[in-house]
Amino acid sequence: MDDLYLDNIDEFVNDQNKIVTYKWLSLTLGVHVNIAKQMLYHYLQQKRNESSGTPLHATYLVSGKCVENGSTCHKVSVVREDKLDAVKAKMDVTISVHVYSVQRAELKDSSPLYNTDYDAVKENLKNCNKYSAIRCAAAVSLSSAELQRAQEMALVPPVEKEISKPGLNENTSATSKPSAKQPAGIMGMFASKNASKSQESSKEVKTEQKEDSSLVREQSKVSNALKVESKDTRNKTKRPEFVDRDDEEIESQQKKRRRIKKPQPDSSDDEVVPDSPPVHNVHTPSPKKQVKREPVSHQEESSEVKRRKRRRVLKSNTFVDEDGAFVTEKGYVSVSYSESEEEPEPNSQAKYSSSLKQSFGKRKEEKREKSQKKTSTANKPTKQPSIMGFLQKK
Amino acid sequence: MATLTRQDLNFGQVAADILCEFLEVAIHLILYVREIYPSGIFQKRKKYSVPVQMSCHPELNQYIQDTLHCVKPLIEKNEAEKVVVVIMDKEHHPVERFVFEISPPPLLSIRWKLCIFLICTLLSHVEQLLRAMILKISVCDAVLDNNPPGCTFTVLVHTREAATRNMEKVQVIKDFPWIVADEQDVHMEEAKLIPLKTMTSDILKMQLYVEERTQKT
Repeated sequence: MDDLYLDNIDEFVNDQNKIVTYKWLSLTLGVHVNIAKQMLYHYLQQKRNESSGTPLHATYLVSGKCVENGSTCHKVSVVREDKLDAVKAKMDVTISVHVYSVQRAELKDSSPLYNTDYDAVKENLKNCNKYSAIRCAAAVSLSSAELQRAQEMALVPPVEKEISKPGLNENTSATSKPSAKQPAGIMGMFASKNASKSQESSKEVKTEQKEDSSLVREQSKVSNALKVESKDTRNKTKRPEFVDRDDEEIESQQKKRRRIKKPQPDSSDDEVVPDSPPVHNVHTPSPKKQVKREPVSHQEESSEVKRRKRRRVLKSNTFVDEDGAFVTEKGYVSVSYSESEEEPEPNSQAKYSSSLKQSFGKRKEEKREKSQKKTSTANKPTKQPSIMGFLQKK
Repeated sequence: MATLTRQDLNFGQVAADILCEFLEVAIHLILYVREIYPSGIFQKRKKYSVPVQMSCHPELNQYIQDTLHCVKPLIEKNEAEKVVVVIMDKEHHPVERFVFEISPPPLLSIRWKLCIFLICTLLSHVEQLLRAMILKISVCDAVLDNNPPGCTFTVLVHTREAATRNMEKVQVIKDFPWIVADEQDVHMEEAKLIPLKTMTSDILKMQLYVEERTQKT
């Protein structure tokens, strides 16, 4: 093995101040990982023997058996050089020790080690084990057809599970899934094949259920969800008829209200739900009629079981999918809200960790959350004005 | 910056958001790497798909957030030339200055490039560049001498006179006033210049270098 690699490593470590991990080195030089480890070891030996120039630091990968809490376990850890002997002493049997990385900086934590490999591995994702010593002949990546099938399989069981749940709640749970998948599906057309496939497959699943002649109530609710998703008509009173039959007293009132309702304005880009006091009675925006009915209905509703309803709302939605594509989309979206419930789950999804793409994240929202907030802003003057009323699309 | 009504995007705002998020992460990382605060207050979080150290101390976090909140409008209008994180010793003499030089990207390339397809690649490219910046900050202790104990930090913004007057008029956050920096904070005698990283992308152009005092103790 000629010694050019020593110069290469020297350049990486000293001139460019890089962290040279064995994985990165093997991908960069195109050598097997074991050779990369030996290269690093030789380099380290050489530099240490010279005992001049800038000090080098190294990390090691130690693997061995040790006894923890009474049970033996195989432990693999990346340790700094100064802790190497201590860790080796703790282990009963040390199976392997090799150089993990060489760098000039004395690392305080392991995050840069991950960072330096990230881009190299990402570029070589399909063949990242090209130079690796770990092999499994049976592990072959799926073809794209198989991948699609696998995604369909993953989608069908959760949808079926939702069907079997009785009650109204399932309506919304079924719609929440497609509404969450829908942006992914539309963005998937731009971003990745997989997302569009999942959208197509979810639509496939839904149409299959639609065609099912058994006409079970629950299934037709799901099919209603699909109808809603496709945004065919500007149907304000979009409620499944089955549900209407269930709750007649309140039903008629709510139905009436819904017919009066005007299309929602395009102020859909609300912020994360703040700590405004939860609004109890969520109604459609026609203030006059609401005022009269509200005291009556409120009691009725509060005495009733909490119910979720859906209606179609014209929304303009600007959001970003996982791949960072930014899209504004206007359309009717089936949105669920509950008469007597407070905001149930928007917060769980509304808080996104700040990531690069979420610099656009002002607009990235859970649709249900928006509708609930919107309906809460449409409240009568008797209610304490919610902070949501001031939120508008920027 | 150009306002692209087609997407209801204010591109300048977007770039400023990205930059301010990055500066927040970078400041936390500088505080961690240079050991301004004990490492116990830091916690690993994820940003740009890699782990970074962020502080958990609420007042420190609030201070950094307020600082950047005031800086953001300047960046949006391209009035911020540099954002500097100055590390000072016990006598309030600066020992290190991490300078983030910000320049606006060429407008022309933005306009025609801004369609959905290219945004995906654009953002992931920017993320990659910012990741590289984070990595460089993590290993900067290889090229810098150790700081004396008891250091403190502050953030300076180099901007234009008109902008400072505007800032005073419209005080962005109450009880968070900005004052004109002393000469001694701004200029360091016997400074060594150590460049760390430069990044150029369609939405951001940034250069990071460190000015270090030759004699630190």
